[in-house]
Amino acid sequence: MFLTLRLLSNRHPSFIARTVFVKNNNVDDACRLVNRILGKEGILEQYRLTRYYEKPFQTRRRVNHERCKAIYNEDMERKIQFVLRKNRHEPFPGCS
Amino acid sequence: MLSNVRNALRIPVAGVARLFQTSVPRTSEKFDHKRIPQEDEGVQGEKVVDLDSVLKTKQNLFPTLDSDNQIFGGILYKQLPICNIRVSHNNTIFTMTDASGSVKIIRSCGMEGFKNTKKGTNIAAQTTAIAIATKAIDRGFKTIRVRVQGLGPGRLAAVKGLQMGGLDIVSITDNTHVSWNPPRPRKARRL
Repeated sequence: MFLTLRLLSNRHPSFIARTVFVKNNNVDDACRLVNRILGKEGILEQYRLTRYYEKPFQTRRRVNHERCKAIYNEDMERKIQFVLRKNRHEPFPGCS
Repeated sequence: MLSNVRNALRIPVAGVARLFQTSVPRTSEKFDHKRIPQEDEGVQGEKVVDLDSVLKTKQNLFPTLDSDNQIFGGILYKQLPICNIRVSHNNTIFTMTDASGSVKIIRSCGMEGFKNTKKGTNIAAQTTAIAIATKAIDRGFKTIRVRVQGLGPGRLAAVKGLQMGGLDIVSITDNTHVSWNPPRPRKARRL
């Protein structure tokens, strides 16, 4: 309930989202964790994309390129898995 | 007569020598590394994938409902002073505020004596951070929370510098303004 109240009073309550506590005075790790989360959620990407106007033809090109890349990566991943497949009961003996 | 013999000898020698190449091959087909864009990490730690293991191993990394009332250095979390860092490509601006948000100290890389492009470097950000940290300690701020806004070279260095200046950083928050339906941005740069 407390959180609901806070959200109602403020659309963007600070120090709730995108916040990481620093453990053992390790600022570097905390910073990296924040950046990692931002990168994974696509926030940094969106920030960079909206710095300058992207013309529609550029958007089309970018999206098409992303699609091609995703298809290629998926197939390549499958290929690698196929080449690396192991037909033994324990795939990597002595490595567990 | 002698030169004739010498020429006769030289031709077969040259013919043999042509069989294997002793000189370094011409560099006409040298691989041009500049054409391939370098793998850009953007912000440090952004592209590291291993997120789940961190979340599993460490606890209490993220704020919860009652983190407002936790005590850090004798002060409630919600009453801790805030250090806002505005990072851009060309400058880094620090403001120390109390918990309600009224500004107490403000420093920027330009005020520290860095001019023009030097303002936007990580070294400038770090020295400015150390300077503001010493000032803040004089004013009686010791334990702070940090709020970072924007992307730039000084992003990591600024937070690091605050710690090097002797401040206790409790938490790091990112407050970069990002919109998914923004007004039309300025036109793209032509390079």
